[in-house]
Amino acid sequence: MMADTNWVKFEIPSDTRNVAFARTAVALFASQLDWTLDELEDIKVAVSEAVSNSIIHGYQLGEGVVRVEASYADRKLTIVIEDYGQGIPDVELAQETGYTTIPEERMGLGFTFMHEYMDEVLVVSEVQKGTKVILIKEVPQRSEG
Amino acid sequence: MQYSFETVGQALIAKLQGELDLHTSPQFKEELAKFFTTQPQIKYLIMDVKNLQFIDSSGLGVILGRYRELEQRGGRLFFVQANPHIKRVLQMSGMQKISEFADSAADVLERAEGGHL
Repeated sequence: MMADTNWVKFEIPSDTRNVAFARTAVALFASQLDWTLDELEDIKVAVSEAVSNSIIHGYQLGEGVVRVEASYADRKLTIVIEDYGQGIPDVELAQETGYTTIPEERMGLGFTFMHEYMDEVLVVSEVQKGTKVILIKEVPQRSEG
Repeated sequence: MQYSFETVGQALIAKLQGELDLHTSPQFKEELAKFFTTQPQIKYLIMDVKNLQFIDSSGLGVILGRYRELEQRGGRLFFVQANPHIKRVLQMSGMQKISEFADSAADVLERAEGGHL
């Protein structure tokens, strides 16, 4: 049987106003699957963190484009958030809880939230080229009734 | 994002409505900081989050910044009527360990006046 699939793609300028748009749009798309409200909130937080990272770190709050792609196949949702900014020199270090390059303003929790709220988080980054964050979450099997 | 502030004695009550994220947090941060600068008596920060629909690490960062100042003043941080989503985010961030949940701002004030804080 063919998998039930759907997708959406959009690009937004690196502008803090668009963080809310991105997380809401992805949550709206994701709501085609059978999530609980809590799970949809989790997805919103994860997307918010990834897009915020692109704007703050990828583009240093400057100009740029953030590309967002969300798709699902059956119960598995995949969200790709990509920027073409400065990239992350050490992807492992960047994902450690509490690690931040702006300690006076940031908590270093962005990746922690993404890992906590999604099943899988993949980060591909190249310095001066950009960063791609892939967030994966599967609708849990729920018992009937 | 809308917010209002009220000071009652040593307490600052910040009432939030909407979504606190990368876009909305800088202005809130600035307004909140003003109270701390101009009113050095503030020891209790009461965040009324009943109508806060969303918060992420950008929003939490603002509150953590104020907590550091509260700590220096020997003060405390409260969250009033946090919905389950907000509670979860607070738990996960570790902020739950440095703050307390309350049913209402009045409860916190009553405890402060009764010398139980």
